[in-house]
Amino acid sequence: MNAVLAVLKKELIDGLRDRRSMMSAIIFPMIGPLFISFMFNTVTERQRESQDVEIPIVGAERAPGLIDWIERRGYTVVEGPLDPEEAVRDGTVDFVLIIPEDFAGDLAKARTAEIELVRDGTKKDAGASIGRAHSLVESYSRMMGRLRLIARGISPQLGQPISVETVDIASERQRAAHFMVFIPMYLILAAFISGMNLAVDTTAGERERHSLEPLLVNPVSRLSLLMGKWLSAVVFSCAGVALTLVSLVLAMRRVSWQELGIQLNLGAPEVAGVLLATLPLAFFASGAQVLVASFARSFKEAQTYISLMIIVPMAPSVIAQIYSLGNEWWMAPIPVLGQQVLMTEVVSGEPVSLLSYAATGLSSLVLGLLCVWVTARLFTRENVVFGR
Amino acid sequence: MIHIEGLHKRFGAVAAVDGVDFEVPDGQVTGLLGPNGAGKTTTLRMLYGLMHCDDGRMEVDGIDVARDPQGAQARMGILPDSRGLYPRLTAREHLRYFGQLQGVGRSMLEARIDELVRDLDMSGIADRRAEGFSQGERVKVALGRALVHNPNNVLLDEPTNGLDVLGTRAMRTMIRQMRAAGKCVLFSSHIMQEVSALCDRIIIISAGRIVAQGTADELLAQSGHDTLEDAFVALTGIDEVTR
Repeated sequence: MNAVLAVLKKELIDGLRDRRSMMSAIIFPMIGPLFISFMFNTVTERQRESQDVEIPIVGAERAPGLIDWIERRGYTVVEGPLDPEEAVRDGTVDFVLIIPEDFAGDLAKARTAEIELVRDGTKKDAGASIGRAHSLVESYSRMMGRLRLIARGISPQLGQPISVETVDIASERQRAAHFMVFIPMYLILAAFISGMNLAVDTTAGERERHSLEPLLVNPVSRLSLLMGKWLSAVVFSCAGVALTLVSLVLAMRRVSWQELGIQLNLGAPEVAGVLLATLPLAFFASGAQVLVASFARSFKEAQTYISLMIIVPMAPSVIAQIYSLGNEWWMAPIPVLGQQVLMTEVVSGEPVSLLSYAATGLSSLVLGLLCVWVTARLFTRENVVFGR
Repeated sequence: MIHIEGLHKRFGAVAAVDGVDFEVPDGQVTGLLGPNGAGKTTTLRMLYGLMHCDDGRMEVDGIDVARDPQGAQARMGILPDSRGLYPRLTAREHLRYFGQLQGVGRSMLEARIDELVRDLDMSGIADRRAEGFSQGERVKVALGRALVHNPNNVLLDEPTNGLDVLGTRAMRTMIRQMRAAGKCVLFSSHIMQEVSALCDRIIIISAGRIVAQGTADELLAQSGHDTLEDAFVALTGIDEVTR
């Protein structure tokens, strides 16, 4: 036990003095949140822009009712160009609404009045604003239709035999959670990346520096040595995860979620839940990295293996996503997938049982320990120690 | 005291150590002399427990290495063939780390570190990181961490490798001091002069077998040559190979 602590302390000091280790434990947690602020601010900006769409109308004075209807919905009506077709073709405007001279007359005589919408079918990006103009006119038309029926003493329901009502069973918070899938992903990556340098430096690094043989002639079991090394990587990994989460929360506070139509509740209980779900992953991530790095002769070789290895734990979650599997009981003990399921539940505000935390956390701990035990066995082999 | 009997080790088809027996008494310096690839390092690696022997028996102060390798390691100070340092730790931190791994108590450890810093003339580098150390400074730290638990038996694998004249002299002084303190010192070398200048007893090993052992005078008499170098060449049979 004393030996484990001695190794842990030494590796932590060594890691704190290593610029490479510190970089991977600090830079990574910072990049994500910066990216998020940027991404969401761009999204809100866009949404804000799309709201003040101008609607060019030729002959607006002939349909004061329609103009009023449109303006009350927050859009601006502008005077249409003199030559609508030319203006649409050269792209000065996306579309033009033309109100014919007998528009008011047709309406008054209860005939179907026509409005012309000039557009260029080859311009795909104009689709959204055209659709909006189209539906504005449609809804005005429906309203007028209903008024005509009522004026004749007929229930408007007669003219609408079927109506489709969409029921969205996803709560606002669940929608937010769906939107937030990248948070678990990013935290999981943080668990793998923050401790990686230490896992490599304390195993493959020892071999590269030729300090493994002097270390192994001390009267300490291989398991104690590797436990110390493993735990030092776990400490870095946990610190990286915590740092990532803190900066994520700080970054997300700056995003105006209401504008995005999402209710996001990341209070203290959610943050604690996410932390409780992710931290045990450090045991597995570091254990697997120590094991893989032990096969490598040099630092670079180990890094190559480990970056390839990150794909393996990601596989179950990708498969689960492809087959759109929900929350199944067997997912909990699978590292990475278990954490992902757990975090999604926490963020969507569902009650999470302690059993789920325990199953996911314990499994990562046990698998991590197993990796360390196997590595300790490997280090009793001459060809591993001397790299034959 | 170190006792080795009938030691065998094969790497595939090659018999690296092929029936080695010898004894290293306390209070003496014993040299393991042989050409490169003779089996010196392999013998030492088996003795300090990093390689398993195929056959034979090794004892350190009466402790069976095969049965209790950690017990034996605690009684040995080892300067292995590879002696890498941690570039971001200071000399003092190296000694402290190894002292903790050897289970030396805290107050005793700090006193012992001060003692080694003085004896090995490391005061200039004690609190500097190992990054920019010279070859000589590196060997000092490696030797210091090997001796931090004040072991009774000292195993040095080619200790003067890569050292300059001053470093070599300092190493020799250290070895003589250890003999004076009654320690059992075993060191390997392929340099004739070094062995003859330091050793009470010389063991000549070649192709995994001991070809001769005794004091310098006994070896001269045995070979029938006038100088140790000629005796070494004759006894190891390098002669026949090079011709």
